[in-house]
Amino acid sequence: MGSSEDDKGLVTKTLGGDRDAFGVLVERYAAQARRVARAVLGDPDDADDAAQDGFLSALVKLAQYDTRRPFGPWLMRIVANAATDRRRRRNVRQAEPLDAALVGGGPRPDAVAMRSELSARLRTALGELPERRRMAVVLFDVEGYSHAEIAGILGIPEGTARSEVFHARRRLRTLLADWKEQVR
Amino acid sequence: MKNEPSFDHRPDPELGAALRAALEPKDDHAAFAARVMAQYERALGRASVATLDVLASWFRPGIAAAVAALILGFLFGRTMLTPAPASFDTAMAPLEGPGLDALVTSQDPPDASVVFSSLVDQR
Repeated sequence: MGSSEDDKGLVTKTLGGDRDAFGVLVERYAAQARRVARAVLGDPDDADDAAQDGFLSALVKLAQYDTRRPFGPWLMRIVANAATDRRRRRNVRQAEPLDAALVGGGPRPDAVAMRSELSARLRTALGELPERRRMAVVLFDVEGYSHAEIAGILGIPEGTARSEVFHARRRLRTLLADWKEQVR
Repeated sequence: MKNEPSFDHRPDPELGAALRAALEPKDDHAAFAARVMAQYERALGRASVATLDVLASWFRPGIAAAVAALILGFLFGRTMLTPAPASFDTAMAPLEGPGLDALVTSQDPPDASVVFSSLVDQR
């Protein structure tokens, strides 16, 4: 997630007009922002548009960032809001359609295809979860944020964040276990 | 993958890795970063324009408020410059003058000119 001190220094430089400093922040958080946006939107192109909106919105609002707090959660809140706004505007269905080959048996795939199949199933399963729940589990298990930080990002109580992660995990772990059983 | 401790405080590495692979974009992040940075100046420019728009939207109400303040200030100032009405003592002062005796001791109804002249004399 990048060192907080470095982030603060980069923010200060950006506020002073240093374009490259903002570029470093973008590179540092690009992967995370794109994944979080994709957890909301499903479609990778939509997700990239939303992540970009999030970064540019953060740039404009940078003076409002409280440097006593970590930068990552602040940025992720903006990215998550940008993704949610985009999803509402376009009213897209989050889940990607399942590849027909994954649904109906077919020949036993090789290892790469199997991983790809798992990814597709996970994306579908994520898409079936409520938006807040899938953001919570991605922020926790993929991005490593704490429950308290997730609560701050999503604007919900910490107990709710904890509960959202729990319910999402229960669904996804079941899917993962089934898949492992299937490929055995 | 661990078997549920439901409210686990630690991330699940296996689930996390699987989700990460599922959400990972196909292209590299450098290309994405370049795309964002290509919008850097435009975003800051739009923000400045938006700020000017906000200021512009304040212009008319600001002018109206200033005019209203000027009018109120003028009216208040004029009120303050108008001579204050005579005090109670001043108003009663003629009663203490020589005309008072004539008014009180006379058997006839008072002549208005006496009253007025008494008032004028006191002033």
